[in-house]
Amino acid sequence: MNGRYLLRKVTQAIVTIVAIVLLMFLLFRIMPGSPDRAVKRPNITIEQVQALKAQLGLDKPLVPDQLVTYVRSTLSGDLGYSFKFRGQPVTEVVADAIGPTVLLIGLGELIAIVVGLALGSLSGWRRGGLVDRVGNGVSLILYSMPYFVIGMPMIIIFAAGLHWFPTSGMTTSGGSSDAVSQLVDLGSHLVLPLVAVSLGLIGGYSILMRSSILETRAEDYITTARAKGLPDRRVLWTHAFPNALLPMVTWIAISLGYVIAGAITLEVVFNWPGIGTLTVEALDSRDYPLLQGIFLLIAVSVVVANLIADLVYGLLDPRVHA
Amino acid sequence: MTEQPIPAMLPLSPADIRGRRQWPLPKLADPNAPLLEVRDLKTHFRLGRAWVRAVDGVSFGLADGEALGIAGESACGKTTTALSLVQLLPGNGKIRGGSVELFGIDLVQKSERAMQRYRWREISMVFQGAMNALNPVIRVRDQIAEPIQYRLDQPEAAARQRAIDLLDMVGIPRKRADAYPHELSGGMRQRAMIAMALACDPAIVIGDEPTTALDVMVQAQILDLLERLRRDLGLSLILITHDLSVLAETCDRVLVMYAGRVAEEGPVRRIFTAPRHPYTRKLVGSFPNLHTDRRSLAVIQGQPPDLLTPPPGCRFAPRCDFAMPVCTEVVPPEVRFSDGVRVACHLFPTSDIATVGGSTLEGSTLGDMTQR
Amino acid sequence: MTGPAAAQPTTAAVRRLAAVRRSAGFATRFLGRTDGLVGVIILGFFAFIAAFPGIFVGPLEDVTTATGLPLHAPYAAHVFGTDELGRDILNLTVHAARISMTIGLMATIITIVVGAVVGIVSGYVGGVLDTILMRIADFFLVLPTVVLALILAPVILDVIGAGAEFGGIRATLLVIVVVIGLTSWATTARIIRSQVLSLKERMFVDRARVIGSGPGRIMRRHILPNVVNLIVAQAVLTFAGAVFTETTLSFIGLGDPVAPSWGQVLNTAQAAGAPGLGAWWYIAPPAVCVVLVVLSFTLVGNALDDILNPKSASRLRVVDEP
Repeated sequence: MNGRYLLRKVTQAIVTIVAIVLLMFLLFRIMPGSPDRAVKRPNITIEQVQALKAQLGLDKPLVPDQLVTYVRSTLSGDLGYSFKFRGQPVTEVVADAIGPTVLLIGLGELIAIVVGLALGSLSGWRRGGLVDRVGNGVSLILYSMPYFVIGMPMIIIFAAGLHWFPTSGMTTSGGSSDAVSQLVDLGSHLVLPLVAVSLGLIGGYSILMRSSILETRAEDYITTARAKGLPDRRVLWTHAFPNALLPMVTWIAISLGYVIAGAITLEVVFNWPGIGTLTVEALDSRDYPLLQGIFLLIAVSVVVANLIADLVYGLLDPRVHA
Repeated sequence: MTEQPIPAMLPLSPADIRGRRQWPLPKLADPNAPLLEVRDLKTHFRLGRAWVRAVDGVSFGLADGEALGIAGESACGKTTTALSLVQLLPGNGKIRGGSVELFGIDLVQKSERAMQRYRWREISMVFQGAMNALNPVIRVRDQIAEPIQYRLDQPEAAARQRAIDLLDMVGIPRKRADAYPHELSGGMRQRAMIAMALACDPAIVIGDEPTTALDVMVQAQILDLLERLRRDLGLSLILITHDLSVLAETCDRVLVMYAGRVAEEGPVRRIFTAPRHPYTRKLVGSFPNLHTDRRSLAVIQGQPPDLLTPPPGCRFAPRCDFAMPVCTEVVPPEVRFSDGVRVACHLFPTSDIATVGGSTLEGSTLGDMTQR
Repeated sequence: MTGPAAAQPTTAAVRRLAAVRRSAGFATRFLGRTDGLVGVIILGFFAFIAAFPGIFVGPLEDVTTATGLPLHAPYAAHVFGTDELGRDILNLTVHAARISMTIGLMATIITIVVGAVVGIVSGYVGGVLDTILMRIADFFLVLPTVVLALILAPVILDVIGAGAEFGGIRATLLVIVVVIGLTSWATTARIIRSQVLSLKERMFVDRARVIGSGPGRIMRRHILPNVVNLIVAQAVLTFAGAVFTETTLSFIGLGDPVAPSWGQVLNTAQAAGAPGLGAWWYIAPPAVCVVLVVLSFTLVGNALDDILNPKSASRLRVVDEP
């Protein structure tokens, strides 16, 4: 893959991240109500606000002093202190909550990619067949459902109703200490939210892959492959699938943002101790430092995901050179 | 390739060519049957509730080692005919009548599964516009090795080696074999497609406008290549093109199609020097000639008919200078002449001893029928 | 099309559009499709409920006017059951229809207007302006609405003042409308810009006639009529997305408890522990409504897109081509 392509994409990513930081600066230091907004919290007096502002350097001129400080501290990982969590550094609070979310989203994406792409491919290849009509219909409905709308009925049926799985949380507190039963406990808590995330993703992936395979199927090189007398299975998976996959790579990366949004809602439904639950708590209490930290984390993740997708696309498609 | 190149002077008889096959004949083959015999082929496309009669009663034959050219305007059914031979029609296309006999085996009756056995090993294709016909994400060498590995059950390494040899034979240097299609020029891609078509030593190679997308210099090179391969390997070729000069250079016989039907068919020299069917005459006449008056281009007036509701009778009648009342009512039957030409035109009516239909190969060697 | 016919692109385009819309052909084609037909029926039903809630239920209940037993499954007096305050779920759901649909409509208007203007101007004017606008659009394409809403909504609400009302619409809801509109225009802008670019090619034939007209006039009278078809289809699909996004935003706590949308009802349900308690009657009605509305907008949008723009470049076609 061309070095120039790589450089261009990385530069674009950096520019976007800079724009994100500037946006936050705009919202929290420039817009009306700032910078008091950054330090206000319940039960605080005006004097305390003034004192805090002086302490944090918020009474200095916006540009360049505040801007420089803001950018520098952001880059060095100092994101302020959460007041909901009693003055803990934002970075620590966020770091504690990342693990569960990554676990959930990571596994969910894995499952959804395998199932969604396979389902979409089979649907599109045998268009009009049973797999297609059922699969496409189900995918369409799933695609119209916000993730939490998928999750809530699952709790009602499988947890509250059938008691197959716990209704909330990631682990049972006060459980036994040996590794195996802890793993089983984690697993049983993981099943329902994981299935919900996967189903939410499968809807979109399946529909798009189907579309992609339909387009690929009409290409001349597929006729050539069939003309070679190759079995249908090989024409689909060796010739059509790799080509249909290319636009999907971009889509999978782009949809990371939407997955995160959906995962936030799912964590609320399942009381999953990840970034999502943290976000809702931060929103409720207007903990702006924490909100900024979370937003920065998510936004940067999305930008990086897009960058990785561009790079992977560059590797997969031999036609991409400049 | 294990065969030695044969000097150009020695013509090969059909029996010789069949004897030189790398692989035995297909199980159901009749060793005495002609290579290919197409009878009254009808292929239609479904459009809503109606059928577009793209190929509507086409018959022709191909002997071992022969090169047959199929000529005609765009959308006259040339490509559809070719695709029908191997059942590669798009979703809404269907063969609704006739037979395609390869060594006496009727391919029309075969299921998709059964057809896979005959494809590429007996009949292979070279498509127009190799940029789209080659898979962009697979290396050229691997695309050629694929049928060798999967259809001839050769191990991967051997298949790859043979692919490189084939590419060399068509003039692509060995070190470029691992290139991707977009890394090759148009001419080289076409050569690669030819190499790919030869991978399983097929009995018949069908070229669908193989030179149309190329510039004239490259075109000449490709035609030379095809001619050389035909000679060296004893290939039987069906060449589809609207470019008459290509046909004149490469083919033994020419089939002229119009609106899904055969207008005229015969030895290439006869067709060009003494065309009988009004359409053929116009076609041959409209081709610009370097040596004659260059001031005007003879054009055939009008448009080809709508094949959804084709005109009754002869389909060329609306544009024909010689149209008679019978032309718009009755489909003209085929007439065979002693010089080996078949025509379907009311200008040449059958007499009581004329044969209509039957084996076209028979007709071309029998001396019969009256001439008008 | 050359000659005098080409000299009247506006009138011809408008006439064509009107002809397509009015002709029996369009109606039968649209309603002949299962997806179009089903979608329109469902949407009509919900539009009716949103417009005339009084036909189905009394005024919106609150703590003081609730008459039912708390969190009770459906029974004679309350056929959809009750929430934790004893309010009738049917009552809540019907009133929420108006809120959800109105927010969706307003957000869609903003999105489409901004998207169309940016798309047309950017595509037609080209050059540096185009590059800048598209870079900005890329920024919004990368970051999904929910993620941006996390920091935009609380800050804007803070600036406006939480209790304020504008034209009878509460600030909280207004903020959601603005946030969705501000962040969703990019997709529409890109799609319309593509169309404008290809129109620009054809326009060169008409240059002779439009010499003397300023760019604004050209854009308004020549380009706009030719992208109207695309805009209409996009608008319907955007509406689906807007309802989807609003539901998510309300669910994570950005909604208004006083004027609850379906998402807000689900938020309250979650807070009351409804899923864990197996209170399916609390969750099913708003959830089903959301899914039906999003689904039918998607179906209708795709049907329109297929009919009005048979060769359109708008990606993410969720439903099959016929």
